[in-house]
Amino acid sequence: MSGGYNEIHPEPTTFWSKYIISFDHKVIAKQFMWYGIFFLGLGGMMALLIRWTLTYPGQPFPIIGNLLFPHSAGVVPPDSYAMLFTMHGTIMIFYAITPLLIGAFGNYCIPLMIGARDMAFPMLNMLSFWFAFLSGIVLVASLLLPLGAAAGGWTSYPTLSTMIGSPGAGQTLWCVAIFLFGVSSTMGAVNYVTTVITLRAPGMGYFDMPLTIWGLWLTAILNAIFVPVLGAGVILLTMDRVMGTTFFLAGASATSGSGDPVLFQHVFWIFGHPEVYILILPAWGIVSDLLSFFSRKPAFGAKSTALAMTAVTILSTLVYGHHMFTTQMSPLLTQSFMTLTMTISIPSAIFFANWLGTIWKGSIRFDSPMLFSLGVVFVFGLGGLTGLHLGTVSTDIYLHDTYFVVGHFHYTMAASVLLGGYAGLYFWFPKMFGRMMNETLAKIHFWGTMIPLNGIFFGMLMIGYGGMHRRIYNPFVYESLQRLIPINTLVTQSAILMGAFQIVFVINLIWSLYKGKKAPNNPWNVGTLEWTIPSPPVHHNYDVIPVVKCGPHELGNPNLKNGRDFQYQTEELVQGPA
Amino acid sequence: MDFLQFSVSSNWFKLSMPVEDISTNGHLIDGLWNYTTLLGIFYFILVCIGLFGFSYLYSHKRSKTPYYTYGNKKKHLFITAFIGAAVFLSVDLNITRLSNNDMLAVFWKWPDPKTEKVIRVEVMAQQWMWSFRYAGADDLFGTADDIVTNNDLRVPMNTKILFHLTSKDVIHSFFVPSVRLKVDTIPGRITRVWWDANKAGQYDIACAEMCGTHHYLMKASLTVYTEEDFNKWLNASQTIAMTTNNPEDKNLAWGWKWEY
Repeated sequence: MSGGYNEIHPEPTTFWSKYIISFDHKVIAKQFMWYGIFFLGLGGMMALLIRWTLTYPGQPFPIIGNLLFPHSAGVVPPDSYAMLFTMHGTIMIFYAITPLLIGAFGNYCIPLMIGARDMAFPMLNMLSFWFAFLSGIVLVASLLLPLGAAAGGWTSYPTLSTMIGSPGAGQTLWCVAIFLFGVSSTMGAVNYVTTVITLRAPGMGYFDMPLTIWGLWLTAILNAIFVPVLGAGVILLTMDRVMGTTFFLAGASATSGSGDPVLFQHVFWIFGHPEVYILILPAWGIVSDLLSFFSRKPAFGAKSTALAMTAVTILSTLVYGHHMFTTQMSPLLTQSFMTLTMTISIPSAIFFANWLGTIWKGSIRFDSPMLFSLGVVFVFGLGGLTGLHLGTVSTDIYLHDTYFVVGHFHYTMAASVLLGGYAGLYFWFPKMFGRMMNETLAKIHFWGTMIPLNGIFFGMLMIGYGGMHRRIYNPFVYESLQRLIPINTLVTQSAILMGAFQIVFVINLIWSLYKGKKAPNNPWNVGTLEWTIPSPPVHHNYDVIPVVKCGPHELGNPNLKNGRDFQYQTEELVQGPA
Repeated sequence: MDFLQFSVSSNWFKLSMPVEDISTNGHLIDGLWNYTTLLGIFYFILVCIGLFGFSYLYSHKRSKTPYYTYGNKKKHLFITAFIGAAVFLSVDLNITRLSNNDMLAVFWKWPDPKTEKVIRVEVMAQQWMWSFRYAGADDLFGTADDIVTNNDLRVPMNTKILFHLTSKDVIHSFFVPSVRLKVDTIPGRITRVWWDANKAGQYDIACAEMCGTHHYLMKASLTVYTEEDFNKWLNASQTIAMTTNNPEDKNLAWGWKWEY
């Protein structure tokens, strides 16, 4: 299917062209990876500050508290608290998960797994990273402003996010940063979609693509359609802030004409709900592949998994209104959004069944990527099922804006995506850097992440059901919430524990980078295209463009006689004696 | 030791229960929550049986030869489709139907002040307080005899209370955990909520939507009186309002004409 532009680019020779302004998808993937890991650390630190404040209000944050908040003796003040949860959300969604799952894996896996020499538009790819970089600088710089960074929540609902609620340049810079990030994401997305369509190796039909590519491709399609909507939204918001327009202003402050703050919520969530799936689809794809690879048998119902993911992609564009039930839209809209939301459980149930079908009667190897993948099945199960309470109008009326929502979306967007990202990182690290990561440390990292993670997010579900609402600096000004102190403490202690175990990961990452065991070409014994070439691959990936002759999950075929239990995608499918 | 841990954790589940429901209809929301949770637990147990059971039975140690299948035999496709349909029919359609019935029969069935006894209250939210307005003796809003309170809502029990809400500055959200209800207050719009409380006492009203630095302090108290006590309070407040309401006071002039 190689109709595209797939020739060998000359290898860059200078440091500058090789590592900085690189057009090579593999280098850009690593750039995105380091960028994502940096912001993951920053966002994680913010999470710890938030948790500390919620559990020990009025007590100085240990060690670095005095450095960060010298004027309040190390205690997080209420305005900084609002800034912290706003930045935590923004950073984790746009600057940690998006670059890691989409930027790093998208760039690394798409060309290698479909047998291409690079992306369809290498220069656009380079620009995509540098726009993201610029956006990151704007966002981090806004933290240093005299009035601080944006503090209206990552959703930035007007009129709080207009001049009425947020004076100071922080919110404006937030808009600029998000717009720049949107530019970056859109460029990446257009590139991924085109690459998958035009540069698949000869013989590779859509259903011969690994499910990872399916996930990344569907994500890119959603990104290309809906990120520009957010871009438009933040431009309108910026105009309201700096040019005196009133798109989103109403009420007593709208002295020069009245707009509608709810309009922004529509614009935001028509992007925002697909965004949830933008983040999770790559992880679903990775998990679908890895479950098969480490069970040593083909992915169960791979085609229906791919189609179910496609169905979710389409449905995700039609359900955004369930974020707005409490704004009291018309009952007809409310009913429609509730019903459409519920239909998402059909495809979700199908690929859950397929995941379990994949490990059924397998021969399961519990290597670290597999452990993380099984972890995703567990946490996404919890995340998905708690979504039922929130998609239902009457229960949502009670649960909306409580920690139940926070627990739910952290299970789906944070826990699942983080575990899926780690699974992918442990899996492709040997290919990316030519060295193996330490398996013992990886397993310690897994259990040290998985157990506290459930303490955190299940605890959040519990305090949310108990009635504690979101984004409050000190929940215990409400007497009725004081009974939740023990659970809140558990959540915070789990968060500190989980944070500490991430140090194991960082140590493993850095150590393996320099001292890890040299990786063979195919350490996991799987047959997708990227494992047919050396680790790490040469600059142009494939000397000869491979010809694909079978599917990506050919494992455990009893007719194989060559001592392997898997086949490369470049090999003719071995048939049994009919 | 095991027993001790169990008692700690069951105690935690008790702690995480919502505050007592004091309304006639809050049990509908609690009931649906319980129903959804039970179904969720059922399906999650199925997932866990698959996840842990298969991981145990088919680990490399116990299962040397994997079953080579694409899972696209008729039987397999049937099972997958059956699971998808079962989840949708048993959970989603059911809770959608139940929720829709509750919304239509109760929460969206606005009491009509013309035909039944309804206490009407106008609510205005602003950074960071709640103001409540009762129509007063002339039964009209926005007039000089209105009773206006700040962060202090008092209502009678066993009477329908209908609220019309708006906001002066940013979006807030009127959250009364004790009756399980919540509605956003939006500048430029009027939203509605109604309840019927059946237990006297004092409860919390919170702002649930991020509304700025002191969002966490935006709380009001809800006092539910017996009808008799309420009337006593109302009459006393009416007298105070008549003597102290200053028509020039701009802070009191926010009431609007009650429509629909």
